[in-house]
Amino acid sequence: MRGLGDLYLQQLKTGLATMLQYRGSLVIWLIGNVLEPLIYLVVWSTVSRSTGGTVGGYGARDFAAYYIVLMLVNQVTFSWVMYEFDYRIREGTFSADLLHPLHPIHADIAENLSSKAVSLPFMIAAAAGLSVVFHPVFRLSPLAAAAFVPALVLAFLVRFLVDWTVALAAFWTTRVSAINQIHYMAVLFFSGQIAPLAVLPRPLQVAANILPFRWTVGFPVELLLGRVTGPRILAGFAVQGAWLLAGALLVRYVWRASVKRYSAVGA
Amino acid sequence: MGRFHEDSRYTGNVGAEPVIRVRDLKKTYVTSEREPGLRAALASLVRRRKSYVQAVDGISFDLEAGEMVGFLGPNGAGKTTTLKMLSGLLHPTSGEIAVLSFVPARRERAFLRQITLVMGQRNQLVWDIPAADTFELNRAIYRIPAADYRRTLDELVALLEIGPLLGKPVRNLSLGERMKCEIAASLLHRPTVVFLDEPTIGLDVTMQRRIRAFIAEYNRRHGATVLLTSHYMADVEALAKRVLVIHHGRLLFDGELAALVERFTAHKTIAVRLRDCAADLGAYGEVVSCEDGLTTLRVPKAETARVTSRILADLPVIDLTVEDPPIEDVIEQVFTRGAA
Amino acid sequence: MRLFRLLWVFLRVGVMGEAAYPANFLAHLIDSVLELATALAGLALIFAHTSTLAGWRPDELVALVGVYFLVGGVIGLVIQPGMEQLTESVRDGTLDFTLTKPEDAQLLVSVWRVEIWKVVDVGLGLVVLGIGLARLGARVGAAEAAAFAAALVAGGIIVYSFWLILATTAFWLVRVENILVIFQSVYEAGRWPVSIYPGWLRFALTFLVPVAFAITVPAQALAGRLTWPVLGGAALLAAVFFLAARLFWLAGIRHYSGASS
Repeated sequence: MRGLGDLYLQQLKTGLATMLQYRGSLVIWLIGNVLEPLIYLVVWSTVSRSTGGTVGGYGARDFAAYYIVLMLVNQVTFSWVMYEFDYRIREGTFSADLLHPLHPIHADIAENLSSKAVSLPFMIAAAAGLSVVFHPVFRLSPLAAAAFVPALVLAFLVRFLVDWTVALAAFWTTRVSAINQIHYMAVLFFSGQIAPLAVLPRPLQVAANILPFRWTVGFPVELLLGRVTGPRILAGFAVQGAWLLAGALLVRYVWRASVKRYSAVGA
Repeated sequence: MGRFHEDSRYTGNVGAEPVIRVRDLKKTYVTSEREPGLRAALASLVRRRKSYVQAVDGISFDLEAGEMVGFLGPNGAGKTTTLKMLSGLLHPTSGEIAVLSFVPARRERAFLRQITLVMGQRNQLVWDIPAADTFELNRAIYRIPAADYRRTLDELVALLEIGPLLGKPVRNLSLGERMKCEIAASLLHRPTVVFLDEPTIGLDVTMQRRIRAFIAEYNRRHGATVLLTSHYMADVEALAKRVLVIHHGRLLFDGELAALVERFTAHKTIAVRLRDCAADLGAYGEVVSCEDGLTTLRVPKAETARVTSRILADLPVIDLTVEDPPIEDVIEQVFTRGAA
Repeated sequence: MRLFRLLWVFLRVGVMGEAAYPANFLAHLIDSVLELATALAGLALIFAHTSTLAGWRPDELVALVGVYFLVGGVIGLVIQPGMEQLTESVRDGTLDFTLTKPEDAQLLVSVWRVEIWKVVDVGLGLVVLGIGLARLGARVGAAEAAAFAAALVAGGIIVYSFWLILATTAFWLVRVENILVIFQSVYEAGRWPVSIYPGWLRFALTFLVPVAFAITVPAQALAGRLTWPVLGGAALLAAVFFLAARLFWLAGIRHYSGASS
């Protein structure tokens, strides 16, 4: 366990140093991560204003609150492993990683967290700025705030495990970009990014509850905003836990199969 | 140490305007120095510390039409900088340059159509496609008429022996093959002035020889003026009767290679073949090595005749040759003396 | 004209470069179709709840999505690859070769790279545009079509000039590839009419990263809501941006050649 802790600490340091080096790309990235929820914020606020009422239970200022929180939750939970894997396999650097005693997922998690340590302050500042402009309405309750943290942690883990498993597709096919695109679309629709899930037509909402994506982003957001209450919160945690388990199992077995395939094909 | 100038008219076109005319050419680079670290980075925003690098420090020379000249010097001597100024890529800090009566820095179209630049360490060939396609690109850019293009291409393909290579993507070619195609691409428009910047760098010996042979042949056939930079002595030896030695931005020597050797060597090498290495020839001169009976001696130039006759008289010599020291040593001499 | 002759030559080279990888073409087709599906699904979602978006009707927005893909396709086809290659060439010094050619260097770097598979995006854009136009029907007459063409050309010139200005900074800065990514991130905002955004964002999308002129304005022409002042403004801005880009480019070349020192 000590080895794990050391790894994370080390990775945090190097991650911070790297991020400061690549300040330019960091800023560009942040612009993208702020712009996307911002666009949908504006679109949906406009829609709700044109209907003169609410859409799916959200008014203009509710949409503002939703997307500002979404922006932050997305920032905390997102990862870019799919692109990394493709690169690693093509460049052949994976062979070295396979020799490490620790499961490579830990290095990736550590890298992910360290980059967020740097970017999160900026995102919070952006959120504050957007709040000034769009006047979101927050209905925070202490219960919601307390439940938010574990929901967020679970969301991060579920999302990372699912992303990592999808990334493993790089071992099996060269058509990684198509898979990534489909994955991205699924995330866009079912995690509540293109619209809050309550706004989607019923069949899509059902699908969203079954698939893991809602539980990686949408659920913590809705929780914090007070749109999931009482027993639904517990049910949500249960589903997150189930997906955490499923994700861990997926990672374990798909990883093993992938390594076998990688070694067979010739590193 | 002063500059060494030899009279340099080899093509007999006395009185005609030289193709390349350089007078007191200077180039100073300005760089901002900065120490690593965050504090220094912030400090540099406020106060920029400039440092000046004198890359070329007042060189002058003329090149006549059809001359093939070698520009010799160690890395950082100013060869590439001079070449870039001659081809219009860099503006001189001061001094005059005229190439084909043009001022290169103005980069007039008529000027650019008559020159070409080949850089040994960089490619103009487009990476993923066959060389032939880059040739087509150049044809369009230089607006070469179809008939001329055909003729020139055929000739270059034959001379460089690149026929089978033309259809392969450039990234699949070996370094030497790529260089040959690179050279072909740069000559499609029949330039009258050819600038070659370290064209044989990184190539194996056979390929180097082939490329040198090509350049010599091209110069012979078309009378193109060729300026070649290199830090390989062999390039210059093979191609250029006239050599310009440059070091620290200054011209240390301009004249025939033979004269360079003559002036700068204080020693000659005597190779004596005896039955074995038992005898110690230290009395006759400095023993450089002895292998399988072949002893190599260094003697002061003035002593050569005397030592030779003594060796022949005293020892059972199987064979004896008197040689100039390797050119590298000569150049070393020029540099170390020139730097003083 | 010289521009088209050179563009054609480089286009042929681009095709030949990609012809070795037919699988790539399919992959890109899938990518683009998925992206289009996402965009149209988003529209469907919105129009399940409302009949207009800031005054824009569904078929007008479909046309806008068509313009988005069309313009994005052209940018990805020739502008973006060229500018990316430019920043690389400045860094590794192969720009020297371009500068010794007897052709205007700006012209060469603008057409020298063609990512041929991006015609898929252009094609998809045209298809969607066609669908939108069909639904807009008789409301698009000769005047609207002409205004559309003019707005598209003006928008194209503005976008090109913007990219060139960004890429020209490579002459002074070292790591510049990331700057070009700014445009891609911001371009996404252009999938919606710029008028829905709050003032400050609208300003940024019009004058800082000229997405509005690239997409919204031509779409406005099709929807019949383009006013003369706006079209005139677009044309004026195109001229100004183009001139500014040219001057900045020349300054960049002078800097590269050490002329200023």
